[in-house]
Amino acid sequence: MPEKRVVLANCGVIDPEDVASYIERDGFKALKKALKLPGEQVVEEIKASGLRGRGGAGFPCGLKWDLARKAQGDEKYVICNADEGEVGTFKDRYILENDPFSLVEGIAIAGHATGANKAYIYLRAEYHFLLDLLEKAIAQAKKKGFLKHLDIEIRQGAGAYVCGEESALMDSIEGKRGEVRYRPPFPPTKGLWGKPTIINNVETLMNIPRIVLKGAKWFGGMGTERSKGTKVFSVSGDVAKPGVYELVLGSSLKELVEDLALAKKVQAVQVGGATGRIIPGDMLDTPLSFETILGAGAVTVFNESRDMIDIVHRTLEFLAEESCGKCAPCREGTEAMAGILERFSKGEGLEKDITVLGELADTMMLASMCGLGQAAPIPVMDSLQHFRGAYDNRIRQS
Amino acid sequence: MAEITVTINGRQVSAKEGMTILEAALENGIDIPTLCHHQDLTPLGACRICVVEVEGSRTLVGSCHTPITEGMVIHTHSDKVLATRRMIVELLLASHCGSCFMCDKANICELRKIAADLEVGLPRFQMRKNYYPLEDISPYVVRDLTKCIMCRRCARACSEVAGHNVFAIAYRGFDSKVVVDFDQPIDKEVCRDCGVCISFCPTGALGKPREAKEEKRGKPLIITS
Repeated sequence: MPEKRVVLANCGVIDPEDVASYIERDGFKALKKALKLPGEQVVEEIKASGLRGRGGAGFPCGLKWDLARKAQGDEKYVICNADEGEVGTFKDRYILENDPFSLVEGIAIAGHATGANKAYIYLRAEYHFLLDLLEKAIAQAKKKGFLKHLDIEIRQGAGAYVCGEESALMDSIEGKRGEVRYRPPFPPTKGLWGKPTIINNVETLMNIPRIVLKGAKWFGGMGTERSKGTKVFSVSGDVAKPGVYELVLGSSLKELVEDLALAKKVQAVQVGGATGRIIPGDMLDTPLSFETILGAGAVTVFNESRDMIDIVHRTLEFLAEESCGKCAPCREGTEAMAGILERFSKGEGLEKDITVLGELADTMMLASMCGLGQAAPIPVMDSLQHFRGAYDNRIRQS
Repeated sequence: MAEITVTINGRQVSAKEGMTILEAALENGIDIPTLCHHQDLTPLGACRICVVEVEGSRTLVGSCHTPITEGMVIHTHSDKVLATRRMIVELLLASHCGSCFMCDKANICELRKIAADLEVGLPRFQMRKNYYPLEDISPYVVRDLTKCIMCRRCARACSEVAGHNVFAIAYRGFDSKVVVDFDQPIDKEVCRDCGVCISFCPTGALGKPREAKEEKRGKPLIITS
């Protein structure tokens, strides 16, 4: 399947600094249509489309909105998660750089649908160069009278990986230390400042105007049974053509990595960033969907010259550093795993370490408070499953 | 408050709506170990020792902060739960300083108690330990963060019980620690004599300053070979 540009339809076509060029291409038509409908109907449309969150977890977007809409609260919030902290993702940056207006429109529709009158865009600290562009886009949309029902404010992050996690993100917006909260209560009932809140990824919100304009049926026509629509992927690593690609969900990893990005001699592909699944080179026909593998759409390719244990060790070192430090399994577990993997990378692993890694992984997956700790063992366990030989070679011989 | 029915370890019990799993279990005579939880403090859910299995949930859930819902089926001591609790204790012990013999809390330490109850022995793996200098310049409280397990009871007790906000959390991941001001040793300028935090500390990280007695004051014993 070739690329299909739905989310990225306007990227490179419109002038991101000029709202007129966006309006020319049906811009804000979806918002006008949505504002004429009751919020409930908009939510129903999103529900019917089968759109799922594009940030990695894949929670049904319509259901989230419905919960927030029905929640009691004098004030409600919409948050756009533009923290894009996942290792190897740069799709949101590409989107924000090229089509900030679609995002503003998506947020505006979300505000109307859920009954929120305040929205935040949580912009990753490293994306400070996009601040002006985004502010300009909001100001222009406001000037054209599209944001009468909603106030959009941009909050900048401070560089913490964990602040891409929704509850840590809310803490960060509140001005606190970016730390995970326990759930329940979930954000749609009790989120930012204890008020009903929806948090959506940039890409999720980008899909909203398309769905509202073209209908749930059109959107549902793309993808697999439980993964509708398209997905934007960030491909990097050992490929000839790294970059941002958009494919219909259900396309195979091979099409993306070998046909589009022109990778050769693939040893493994990590899908979903630092905590993503590792797929060995001989399983490239795996489809990309929520049922199989997806994450936030980061695709990192490693060719045969790479050492898998080094890669996994580096990943765990990163996760250990970026753990917020609140819950014990993640704080201590990532550190312990990084320590064990360091021994393996030096060729000093022990036979029993492999058992310990397995037990550590179970504990972290079951008991950690948020996605970081729950997913941190995934690359370790996947590499143990597919590249066991590499581990066995590094066990100390004595 | 309405009564709702839940099943704990195969037994149907009724409990009040709004209760946490931990409270419902305790009321029915089922003991769930806790570490960061304290009945006088708001739940934090950080230590994960109190996790239980709830049918239909992908992960284990913290019982100290999860409210019960009608029809919930809970297992507080399944194999999965026990293995997880043991591993968490093992992790905490692996990064702990391990100087229990010399510790003032030796046999009343809550971490050691839980380790003993769960039969966790010496950790099977080596990991980095956090060693910090002893903070003993305050006349009211001595802090030995080497023994801290980051349960944050002190920080919560200070703000919720004592009404001060002396403590905060700084740094990230394994390096995170409970700090005073901008990571200064605790002194009498920021913290006056209330000692509330000391009674909440489960380990030997917080204590009252010890007055040296004869053992340190007497004439030094010098052994010459």
